[in-house]
Amino acid sequence: MVKFPSEEWVKEYMAKLNSNASYEDAAKGWEGAMTFVVQKDAAFDRDAYIYLDLYHGKCRDAKFSLAESDLPVPEYKYSGPYSNWRKLINKEIDPIQGLLTGKFKLQGSMMKVMRFTKAAKEMVNTTTIVQTEF
Amino acid sequence: MWFFRSPEIVFGEDSLSFISSLDMKKAVIVTDRHLLRTDLPGQVRRALPQGTESVVLGDVSEEPPLSEMTSHLEQIREFSPDWFIAVGGGSAMDTTKILFALYERPDLSVYDITPLVKLGLRKKSRLLAVPTTSGTGAECTWAAVLSVEGEGRKHELASPEILPDYAILDPALVMSLPPEQTRNTASDALAHAVEAYGSAWRNPFSDAFAEKAMELVSGSIIGVISEPGNVDLRNRVHIGASMAGLAFSNSQIGLVHALGHALGARFHTPHGKAVALFLPHVVEFNYASCPERYDRLNRIVPAEYRGARLSTSLENILAAMGQARCGREAGISENEFLPNLDDLVSKASESTGMVTNPKDASSADLRSLLIKAYAEGGL
Repeated sequence: MVKFPSEEWVKEYMAKLNSNASYEDAAKGWEGAMTFVVQKDAAFDRDAYIYLDLYHGKCRDAKFSLAESDLPVPEYKYSGPYSNWRKLINKEIDPIQGLLTGKFKLQGSMMKVMRFTKAAKEMVNTTTIVQTEF
Repeated sequence: MWFFRSPEIVFGEDSLSFISSLDMKKAVIVTDRHLLRTDLPGQVRRALPQGTESVVLGDVSEEPPLSEMTSHLEQIREFSPDWFIAVGGGSAMDTTKILFALYERPDLSVYDITPLVKLGLRKKSRLLAVPTTSGTGAECTWAAVLSVEGEGRKHELASPEILPDYAILDPALVMSLPPEQTRNTASDALAHAVEAYGSAWRNPFSDAFAEKAMELVSGSIIGVISEPGNVDLRNRVHIGASMAGLAFSNSQIGLVHALGHALGARFHTPHGKAVALFLPHVVEFNYASCPERYDRLNRIVPAEYRGARLSTSLENILAAMGQARCGREAGISENEFLPNLDDLVSKASESTGMVTNPKDASSADLRSLLIKAYAEGGL
C-alpha cells in the first residue's frame, strides 16, 4: 500500500500505467504532459502535484511535488479536491462524468483531448489499481 | 450526480403552428439544399409570428464541413436574429447549433463546444428545431457532428448549451420523406435506443426513453415503409426517434456510432446506413456485458421480428426495412475498404463512444467489427 499523494504513489502509478495495455493502445497517438492537481480541502491541508510525461502510450517520466513551480509546465491539468480524488481512486466517481459534473476540471486544448477520451479514462482508471491508502 | 436534459417538446398534428405563439422578431431559418426545393421551409416561414423578419439559409449539404457550415456567419451577424430555426435532418440541425453558438460567442473556436467549457449562450438568441426526418434525434440532443475537411474525420461536439429550446415534432413534415431516408434515419433511431440502453452512463431516465423508443420505432417502421402515407405510423416513428435522441443524449452513444462515424466520414455512407451495418455486430460483441438489459430490450421487439437474441431481432428488422446487410451491399468496394482499414480503426478509437460502450474494445476488436460489418462471410 502506498499513500496518496506521495512520491511512492507516483512511482507505483507510473509502473501500473506502463503495464496497462489498454492505455498503451488508446494513447498510441498521444504526445503531451499532464499534471494531476490534488487540491487541498477539509481532508487534506495542502495542494499536491503529479506531473506525467506521456508519449505514444507510455509514461516517460513522473514527478511528485507540493510546489507547482518545481515541475515542468504541462499541456493539460486535471484538477480536483483531495476528497474527490479519493472517491475517484475508490471508483466512486467516473472520471469523465466527474468532469461533466464539476467535481474535476480539465485545462488544455479541448480539440486534442476530445480525440483521446479513452486514453484519458484509462489514465484515471489506472489510479484505481494502485494499492492506495489515504 | 447526473442530469436529464431536454428541450420543450411540441408534438403531434399541427404542432408547427406553435411557433406563431413565440415572442420572435428576427428568425434565421437554416435548412438543407434538398428541402429548399420543397414547401417545408415555406411552411415554417408561414408559421412564424406575424411581423417576424426572416432569412432562409438553404444550402446546407449532407454532413457539411465547418467552412460550409460557417460561410453565412457574417450575414447572420448583420441580420442580428433573436431566433435560430433548424428545419431538416441531422446536418441542418447540427449546422444550426454550431451557427447559434458562434453567433452568440464570436470569440469561440468550434472546438470549444464541449461539455467542459461554459459557453454562456442565449444572450442574444434562442434555438428551435423542426425535424423533417425521423431518426437523428438531433432536435433533442446536446450533440453536433462536424465533418473535418481533408481528414476524413467526424468530430463529435457536445454541450448542454446547444440543446434546442424547443423541438417541434409535426408528422406532416415527414409524410413525404423518401423511402431511403425513412429507412436510414429509422436505423439511426434504433441504434440510439440500443446504445443508450447499454451505455455505461445509462440511468433510469435514459432507460425509460430507450425502451419506449424501441417500442415505437420497431413496432411501426415496417408499416411506414409499406404504407408511407399513414400519419399515425409516421407519428409513432417520429416521436420514437426523438425519444431515442433523448435517451442517448442523456446517456451517450457507444461503439455503433464510433464505427459508423469513422466509416461514414471515409466513404460518405449516409449516417443511418453506416450505423445499421454495425448495430447487430456490436450488440453481439457487447452481449456478455449486459445480457439482461439486451434481453429486456429484445422482448419489446414485435414478435414477428423477434429472435432469440437482440442482435438477431435487429438483423430481422433491418432486413425487413430493406437496409443493406453489409458494407459490400452498401456499395463500398473491397479495393476501397481494405487500404482504409487501419485508418478506420484509428478514427473509431477517437470517438467518445469508446468510453461509454458497455464493453471495452481494443483496436483489434474494432478491426474485427469493421471486417464483420463489411463482409459477413469474411474477406
